[in-house]
Amino acid sequence: MEVIVNGLLTGGLYAATALGLSVVFGTLRMVNLAHGELLMVGAYLTSVLVVALGGDPLLLAIPAALILGLLAYPLQRFVLTPVMVRNADAPVTATFGVSIALQSILLLVFTSNPRSLNAPYATAQLEVLGVGVRVSLLIATAIALAMVFGVHLLLTRTRFGSRVRAAANDADAAGLVGIDVKHTFAMVLGLAAAVAAMGGALLALSYSASPSGGMTWLVTAFTVVVIGGLGSVRGTLVGALLVGLVQTLASRFIGAQYSDVVVFGLLIAILLIRPEGLFTKARRA
Amino acid sequence: MRAKTSAVTNRGRAAVAGTFLQYGLPAALALVFVLLAGGLQRSFLNYGTELLILALIAMAWNLIGGFGGQFSLGHSVFVGIGGYTVAVLFDETGLPFPVVLLAAGVLSALAGVILGYPMLRLRGPYFAIGTLGIALAVTSWMLNWSFTKASQAYSLPARDMLRLPQQFQLAVVLAAAVLIIVTAIVKSPLGLRLVALRDDERGAASLGVRRVRTLLPVWAVSGFITGLTGALVAFQQGSLTPAFAFNPSWVLDAIVICVVGGSGTLYGPLVGAVLVFVLRQWTTDFSDWATLIEAVVVLLVVRLVPGGVWGVCESAVAAIRRRVRRGPPDRVASNRVEEEVMANV
Repeated sequence: MEVIVNGLLTGGLYAATALGLSVVFGTLRMVNLAHGELLMVGAYLTSVLVVALGGDPLLLAIPAALILGLLAYPLQRFVLTPVMVRNADAPVTATFGVSIALQSILLLVFTSNPRSLNAPYATAQLEVLGVGVRVSLLIATAIALAMVFGVHLLLTRTRFGSRVRAAANDADAAGLVGIDVKHTFAMVLGLAAAVAAMGGALLALSYSASPSGGMTWLVTAFTVVVIGGLGSVRGTLVGALLVGLVQTLASRFIGAQYSDVVVFGLLIAILLIRPEGLFTKARRA
Repeated sequence: MRAKTSAVTNRGRAAVAGTFLQYGLPAALALVFVLLAGGLQRSFLNYGTELLILALIAMAWNLIGGFGGQFSLGHSVFVGIGGYTVAVLFDETGLPFPVVLLAAGVLSALAGVILGYPMLRLRGPYFAIGTLGIALAVTSWMLNWSFTKASQAYSLPARDMLRLPQQFQLAVVLAAAVLIIVTAIVKSPLGLRLVALRDDERGAASLGVRRVRTLLPVWAVSGFITGLTGALVAFQQGSLTPAFAFNPSWVLDAIVICVVGGSGTLYGPLVGAVLVFVLRQWTTDFSDWATLIEAVVVLLVVRLVPGGVWGVCESAVAAIRRRVRRGPPDRVASNRVEEEVMANV
């Protein structure tokens, strides 16, 4: 029971960290290899704001998210979209370049020491269903749920959402009916980066962020997105809960040092058996 | 008609000369450097070995990542396997040097076949992150595997260490051999199938080119080369840790070099290795900046000159040749230039 509750809550955190990747993958059909670094930059930005202004890291994660979103907009507009138009595989190299750039900037500014966010509730424990759980994970899960449904509603129930889906489905046709496709794509990455910054702040509350830590989070987030299915925001939530559960069970029964191996093994198994995700209708390319 | 035939034979002669250059020149250069190695300065040998290690990894990656179009983030695994094979075999057995070296390559290639068989079914970003996942999983496995002393350093027994000139000779021979092998593969029917698969998978499939069957041997060769390079790294370092031998920075270096020099070109990795190496020598005092500069250069190259440095040289040479010949434009070359123009619009 304890393992299951903690696993689900870890999954909640994973949902927060994977949501940005899922949004970009689902709409732009682009895998953002720099996603892990966006999480890390979000965590570091929040930490800088906490040091500079003093205050609650969760509140300060919001301006951090806005800043990161604003920084991501021109990146998509002037670098990634032009590359995407040319060749479907080119963004892989481009986002890889972004990932190294962000990593080295973090290394230059903050050295290689891991950093975590401190708050009274970061280390606190709470009784839920008769089980001791970390409050930080509980908060992460709550915020993740809110963000998942917020993003889902944004993409399905608003004019912005229809523009995004139209541009993603057929950029040319969307352009013909007057949608500014470049602006829309850039907004999507901005949104994803903002969500990633929140995710980064949440993960730094429970664990820690480091300049080179992004890669592991990228693979975990990708596992979540693949399990949930391409373009399904709600699937991301389910995938995250599943990954959290599997990882917590594995670290309990196999050993904590192998929990990462299990997640990567899960990713590889899913990619081979059902690359279209567990919760979407089969649609093989 | 007569003029046409003579043009054809001229071209034929040029092709023969070109082939001779492509295979003979690396071999001749290697021979010169191997013979000279005893008389060269230590710093030159050191720098030379380091440069050639970069070039070797880049050439191996280019084979699958450039010509094959499969963006591998897992090549650091091959470096680690090659290096650790050398360390373990020298430590536990008395096998002679050539056997150990060969074993490093063969084991890496074998790992490549085992991993590649499932992985190569994945496409594009799925392949990239799948191989990254494998790299991370193998690293965390190695950090806990007591057989290879887990996270502690595994030293090579001192008696078997290669001295500096010998390391350099080995690096030179490997680099020349790899360049020749890569040239041969790219020009072979297998290489043509590989490029066809990259450029148009459906089209290639309709002509009977099968994905895994084409990619697997290339992936294995790429793993073999990277494993040998890992062995060279082991000799150069004298001891290995998983954090070093399986470090993602190996594949990072390879990709940066290939992109800058020209991914999917024969000599791009060599040009890129020299450029990146020179950049790193310039920035030794502030080496943290080197990575950032490299990343920005990669972004600029991807955005503005997707062919890389060698790609630009090639199209410039083609353009000059056409102007000199003043004949009907070479179809292939003009297509390439058109692509470049389209790309820059």
